[in-house]
Amino acid sequence: MAVAAAPTHGGGVADHIHPEPHSFIRRYIFSIDHKIIGIQYIVTAFLFMVMGGLLAELIRVQLMNHSGTFVKPDTFNELYSIHGSTMVWLVIIPLLTGGFGNFVFPLQIGARDVAFPWLNMLSFWIFPVAGLMLYSSFLMGAPVAGWTEYPPMSLLGGPGTSMWAAAIFLIGVSSTLTGINFLVTILKMRAPGMTFTRMPLFVWGQLATAPLLMIATTALGAALAALFIERQFGVPFFDPTRGGSPVLWQHMFWFYSHPAVYIMILPAFGMISEIFPTFARKPIFGYKMIAFSTVAIALLSFMVWAHHMFTSGMAPFLQLPFMILTMFIAIPTGIKIFSWVATLWGGKIHLTTSMMFAIGFIATFTFGGLTGVYLSAVPFDLHAHGTYFIVAHLHYVLVGGSLMAIFAGMYFWYPKMSGRIMNEFWGKVHFWLFFIGFNATFIPMHWLGLLGMPRRVAVYDPQFQFWNQFASISSFVMTAGILVFFINAIVSLRTGKKAGANPWGARTLEWQISSPPPYYNFKKVPAVLAAPYDFAEPLPYRGLEGELDPNVPAPVAAGH
Amino acid sequence: MAISVSQIPHGDPNVDQLYAETRDLRLNGFLLFMVSDLVLFSSIIFAYLYLRNSGQGWPPPGFSRLDVAFAAFNSVVLFGSGVTMHFALENWKHGNFIKFANWMVATIVLGAGFLSGQGYEYWTLYQKMHVSWSGSGIFGASFFTLTGMHGFHVFAGVIYLTVLLLQATNGKYTQHKHFGLTAGTLYWHFVDVIWVLLFSIFYLF
Amino acid sequence: MNILSIEHYLAIIGAIIVTVVAIIALKNDWKTPGLENQVFKVMLGLLALGGVLSFFAAIGVLGNFGGKA
Repeated sequence: MAVAAAPTHGGGVADHIHPEPHSFIRRYIFSIDHKIIGIQYIVTAFLFMVMGGLLAELIRVQLMNHSGTFVKPDTFNELYSIHGSTMVWLVIIPLLTGGFGNFVFPLQIGARDVAFPWLNMLSFWIFPVAGLMLYSSFLMGAPVAGWTEYPPMSLLGGPGTSMWAAAIFLIGVSSTLTGINFLVTILKMRAPGMTFTRMPLFVWGQLATAPLLMIATTALGAALAALFIERQFGVPFFDPTRGGSPVLWQHMFWFYSHPAVYIMILPAFGMISEIFPTFARKPIFGYKMIAFSTVAIALLSFMVWAHHMFTSGMAPFLQLPFMILTMFIAIPTGIKIFSWVATLWGGKIHLTTSMMFAIGFIATFTFGGLTGVYLSAVPFDLHAHGTYFIVAHLHYVLVGGSLMAIFAGMYFWYPKMSGRIMNEFWGKVHFWLFFIGFNATFIPMHWLGLLGMPRRVAVYDPQFQFWNQFASISSFVMTAGILVFFINAIVSLRTGKKAGANPWGARTLEWQISSPPPYYNFKKVPAVLAAPYDFAEPLPYRGLEGELDPNVPAPVAAGH
Repeated sequence: MAISVSQIPHGDPNVDQLYAETRDLRLNGFLLFMVSDLVLFSSIIFAYLYLRNSGQGWPPPGFSRLDVAFAAFNSVVLFGSGVTMHFALENWKHGNFIKFANWMVATIVLGAGFLSGQGYEYWTLYQKMHVSWSGSGIFGASFFTLTGMHGFHVFAGVIYLTVLLLQATNGKYTQHKHFGLTAGTLYWHFVDVIWVLLFSIFYLF
Repeated sequence: MNILSIEHYLAIIGAIIVTVVAIIALKNDWKTPGLENQVFKVMLGLLALGGVLSFFAAIGVLGNFGGKA
C-alpha cells in the first residue's frame, strides 16, 4: 500500500486544528476546546454535587428522629425531589458524558476535537443555566413528587414544578446535542488505523452511551413538554379526571429514565476497563466480550422500562417479559464483572487511590446489581416497591457504582487534566472514609426496606429509628470523605507532584502526549496498529515520536 | 491544507482506510438530529395512541370524526411540496439556477398553502365544533399538540427554505458545495414524511 | 359543483400526480450513491406512500373508523 498523501477534506474534519486561543475568555470561558469544556463540565457538576449533597444531609438530619421536626413535611418533599434531580441530571450524567467523555475520548481516538466544537460549547452552557433554573424552583415552591414527578402529584405541586420541567427539558437538549456530537466524532474521526476493535474500552462506553443520550433524552423531552403544557395551559394528558392517564407519564418517563440508568453506568464501566489493565499491568481480559456486552446492555435498556411499573397496574402477561428481559441484563453485566476480576488475576497490582476506587466499585456495584436482580422479580418487587430497599438499591448502583467510578477516574485522569498528581495519602483517606461511610449508610436501608419503611416520608415508625440514626451518622462520614476529596483536588493543583506525560504507565493515546495536552492535542495525528492493552508489546502507535520533544513545532492552524 | 497527517505505515490494510472515509461530518450530524426529532414525535404519537386506546373509543363520545376529504387535499399540497423540493435540489446539482429557484418558490408556496389549510381546519374545528386545545379532553389535547408541533416544523421549514433561497441567490453555494441545500431538502422531506404518519393515525385509521 | 366536490377532485388528481412523480423520481435516482441520497430515496418512497394514502382517503375508502363524520 502506498504512503497516503494527506487527504483533503471539507469543513469540520479530523485534522482540523483550531487557532490557538489568546484571550482568557476564549481560552477558559467560552472555549471550543473539548478538553476545557470537559473540565468546565466536571467543575460545574461537582459544584452541583455540593448542593445535592447538602440536600442529602438535610434529609438525613430530618430522619435522625422518627417524628422529624427539622423541616416541615412539604419542605422534606422538596428536598428529596431536588436532591434526586440534581444528582441524576446535574451531577452524574454531566460528569460521565460531558465531563470525562469530552476530555478523554477525543484524545483516546486521536482526534483534535469533537466533530462540532461550537455545538459542544452550546451543550455545556445550557447545563449551568438549566441547573440554576432547577434551583430557582425553590423560590416559587419546588416540585414535591420526587425526581420521577409522577402525576397527579406533580400536577398539584407548586409553580416550581413547571420550572423543574423546563430545566430538565433544557438539560435534555444539552444531552441530545452531546450525544449527536459524540456519536459523529467516534464514528467518523478516529485516527487512521483505529478500527472498532482497536478502540479503548472507554470509547466503547461512550459509543454505546451516545445513542442513549440522543434517543432516550428526546423521549423524556416529549414527556416533560407534555407535563409543562398540562400544568401551564391546562391541556389534559395525565389528569385522570379529564380523560388523561397518569400511567402514561410513567411509561414516557421510564422509557427515558431506564436507559438513563445506563447512561450513568456505561461510561463508568469504560473508565473501570481503562484503570484495571493499567494498574494490573496486564491486558484487559475479554476485550471483545466487554465491548459487546456494553452494546448489549445499551440495546436491552430500551426493552425493560416497565419493570419500574409492576405496581402501577399493568397486565400480568406483560409483567413476565419485562421481568425476564430485566434479568437478561445481569448477563452482560456479569460478563464485565468476571472480565475485570480475570484482568486482576495474576496481575502486578499497583494499589493507587484510583485502583482502590476501581476495586471498591466492583464490590459495591456487584452488590447493587444483585439487589437489582431481586427487584426485577415481580413477586419480590411487589413487596419492596416504594420502600427503602429501592433507595438502597439505587444508591448502591449510582453512588457505589457511578460515583465510585467517577472518583477512580478523577484520580486517574487528574494528572492529565492538570499536570499534577493528586495527593495519594489524602486520596486513601478519602477512599476509606467514603467506602465505609457509604456502605454503613446504605446497607441498613435494605433492612429498613424489607421491614416495610416507605421511602419519601418525613416521619416514620419509631421501630426504625436506630438504623436511621446509624445511616445518618454514617452519611456524615461519607460526606467527610467527599470533603477531603474536594480539598485534595484544589490543593493538589498547586502542590501536587508533577505528573509528566504518563505517570501511570498507561497505554492509551491520551497518555502519550504532554500533560495537560496542548490545544491541538497531537502534533501529528498518530496511526494505530493494535488495541492498546498488551503490556508485553511496544506501544502500537506510529507518528508520536515528536510529541514530547519541545523542539518539534506545534502544527499550524488551517484556514481561519 | 495538508497538515501533519502521519506517515501511514506500510503493510497494514486497516490503517488508512478509515481515514480515507472521513468526509463532511455535518451531514451525519444533521441526520442524527433528524433521528432525535423523530423520537420526539414518536413519543407524543405514543402518548396519543395510548390515550386513544384507553377505553372510551375514538373519537371520544361527543366528538365527530375529522374532515378526511379536506385533510386529504391539504396533505396532497404538502406531499406535492416534497416533490417540488426534490426537483429544486436536482436542478441545483445540474447547475440550473433558474429552475432551482422556480421549484423552490413552488415549494415555499405549497408549504405556506398547507399552513393556511391547517389554519382553516383549526378555525373550523374551533368555530363550528368547539374543539379546543385545553377544553376538549384528550381529543383536543392530542390533536392540537401533535398537528401543532408538526405545523410549527412546517412553519420553521418555510422560513428555512426562504433563507436558503436568498442565500443561494446571493451565491453562498456552488454546484458541488451545497450542504445547506441538502440539509434543507432533508428537513423538508422529514416534515412531509412525519405528516404521512400523522395523517394516517389521525384521519385514516 | 359544490366546494366539497372540488376539494375531492383536487385531492384525487393531486394524489395521483404526487404518487406517480415521486415514483418516477425514485426510479431515476435509484442508483445514486451517497448517504444523503439513500435517505432521499427512503423519503421519496414514503412520499409515494403518502400519495397513495391521500388518494384512498379522497375517494372515501380510508378514514371511516369510529363515529360518523
